[in-house]
Parts: sequence; C-alpha cells; structure tokens
Amino acid sequence: MAERQELTGACKNYEQDLVLYYYQDCSRAEQQQVEAHLEGCPSCRVFLEELKSLLPATVKTDEPTPAFWQNYSREMRGKLDKRESRGWAGAMLSLFRPWPVPAVATAMILAIAVTLTFTNGRWTTETNPSPELVEMASNADFFESIDFLDSMDLLESVEGHDAQKSETASHPL
Amino acid sequence: MISRRPEEFGDEELVTSAQQGERQAFEVLVERYKQRAYHIAFGFTRDREDAKDLSQEAFLHAFSHLKKFDRRSGFYTWFYRILVNLCLDFRRRKGRVSWESLDEKTEKGNGLEKIPNPGPSPDQAAMSGEISTRISAALATLPPKQRAVFLLKNNQGLSIGEIAAIMKTAEGTIKAHLHRAVMALRERLTELA
Repeated sequence: MAERQELTGACKNYEQDLVLYYYQDCSRAEQQQVEAHLEGCPSCRVFLEELKSLLPATVKTDEPTPAFWQNYSREMRGKLDKRESRGWAGAMLSLFRPWPVPAVATAMILAIAVTLTFTNGRWTTETNPSPELVEMASNADFFESIDFLDSMDLLESVEGHDAQKSETASHPL
Repeated sequence: MISRRPEEFGDEELVTSAQQGERQAFEVLVERYKQRAYHIAFGFTRDREDAKDLSQEAFLHAFSHLKKFDRRSGFYTWFYRILVNLCLDFRRRKGRVSWESLDEKTEKGNGLEKIPNPGPSPDQAAMSGEISTRISAALATLPPKQRAVFLLKNNQGLSIGEIAAIMKTAEGTIKAHLHRAVMALRERLTELA
C-alpha cells in the first residue's frame, strides 16, 4: 500500500477563498486579493495546485449514445401520456379514495351537531307566514268564543240530561 | 408573418404554453434540459438506469405541478430544485447501498443491458477502476447537502448564486458547504492514496 501523503495546509483564513478562486467564482477584488496572497505564500500555492490535480479527477461523466437519448425521449412521452390520462381519472377516483369517506361523514356529523345546538333541538325553520295564516290568526278570538259557546251548550245539555235522569229516578214507574 | 418553431421559444414562453395545456411545449423543455438533468442525477447515483429514472421522475413532477410554478425563479432553477430534492431523497432511500457496489453495477454492465453500446467516457477510460471507486467512496462520505453543492459546482459548473437559488439557501452557506466538501474530499483521498 502506498504511503500516506502529507497534507499541505493552506492559511486557514484563505482556504475558502482559494476554493472559490479555483472555481473562478469570486469577485474581481477577491481574486486580486487571493493572487496577492499567493505571491508571498508557498503553502497556499501548493494547496491550490493540489486542488487543480484532485478536483477534476472527481468528475465522473457519462456520455450515453444517441440511441439512449432517443429511448429517453420516447419513454418520457409515454410517461407523460400516462400522467395526463391519470389527471382526469385521478380527480374522479380521488372522490372514492378512503380518505373522503370519513371526511364527509365527519362533516355531516358536525353539521347535525351545530344545527341541533343552535335550534335547541327544533328542526322547524322560521319562515314568513302566509297572509291567509295571518288573517286566521287575527280571527283566533272569534274561533275561541265559538269554542266557548259550544262548550257551554254541551255543558247545558249534559246538565239537562242529568236533571231528567234524577226526575225519572224520584218518580219510579 | 414568420412563425417560430417551438424549439426557438424561451423557457418563459414554453412554460406559459405548457401551463395552458400544450403538451408539446413541455416536451420542448424536456428536450432542452434532459441531458443536464441526467448528468446531475448521474452525479448522485453513478448508475445509468437510476439517473434516467430520477431525471424522468423530476420532469413528471414538474409537469404535474407546473400550474403551481409562480415564476419567482427561472424554470431551470425550479426544475433543478425538484431534481436535487429527488436526488437527496434517493440517497436517503439508498443510504445503505455502498457506493462501491453502485460503481461495480455501472462498470460491470449490470443495469446497462437495455442500453446499446454505452461506451466508456474519456475520464473513465483514463482513470483506473480502483481510483474511480475510491473517489466514489470519498464522495459517499460527504453529508447530502455538501455532496449536492459539490456536484452542482464541480460537475455542473453552476455558480454559487445559482446553487443558492436551487437549494433555497444563503450564498454564504453554500460557500461553506463547498469549502467543507472540498476539504473533506482532499483529506479522504489523501488517506486512500
């Protein structure tokens, strides 16, 4: 096995700048600052050389053939077709998936509970009464008096019947 | 009036058309970005079939959610975000699979049977299998976000600003991730040398 190589340390406060300098992703001012430092710092120069030899080797590229790319596009179109057809069907099917069933049931239970709470258990709705009903209501006193008279007649007839019975009883045949 | 071909439209115009239901417009976007998407995914998976599946999944996800794309960033930034998230998720799902085995899978042809004449890349040809495996192992030791930043910078050549937009992270954090990733790789590869 090869001997372990010694790492050359760069100046700690220049390490990150040197990495960005290697990738040429720093401002002009930063670039000039790094270059000025490199002129007087051999260890940072060695560090930069290490990056130049090491980092390109880490790129593992893959260059597939044109046939691969044709196949890629064909497969992609097929997958898009499936996804598109699933769009409409999926929207319809989603209504029958397991989750909407308990969700709808819960919503209905909540609606019933709220209705019962705010109507004190009465299910009738308040609507404006029709004019006929209003008129009938205004005549309620009249109907009540008729009912009263009817009751009086009934009472009198009952009393008359009872009196007749008692007379019959006191004068036996 | 000269009518333009769909390939000549910019991303924004294509996105608008695709949002209005024109499938062809989205297919142009796929053609435009498929190679870059594939190479990003390959950086994560190091497997041709997995890279193809992941990049296609990213396009399908973008297609399904295109109406939610609010244009606060460019299409490719939004799309790369989807792709990188899928790649990170792939790493989590395949976390227990060693990178050595993935490399063997790629190099021995397992999973490549469906693709005719894959052919080694110039880098692969130049590099011995052993060194390649060591580099993969070293990359595998990086935390997922450091690895993502490193691959987007080192392999894709994206700027720090672009990576920050894709990963929705501050540029300073991206620089720190990149720095740590490079230092860790340097140390790891020197250990293996």
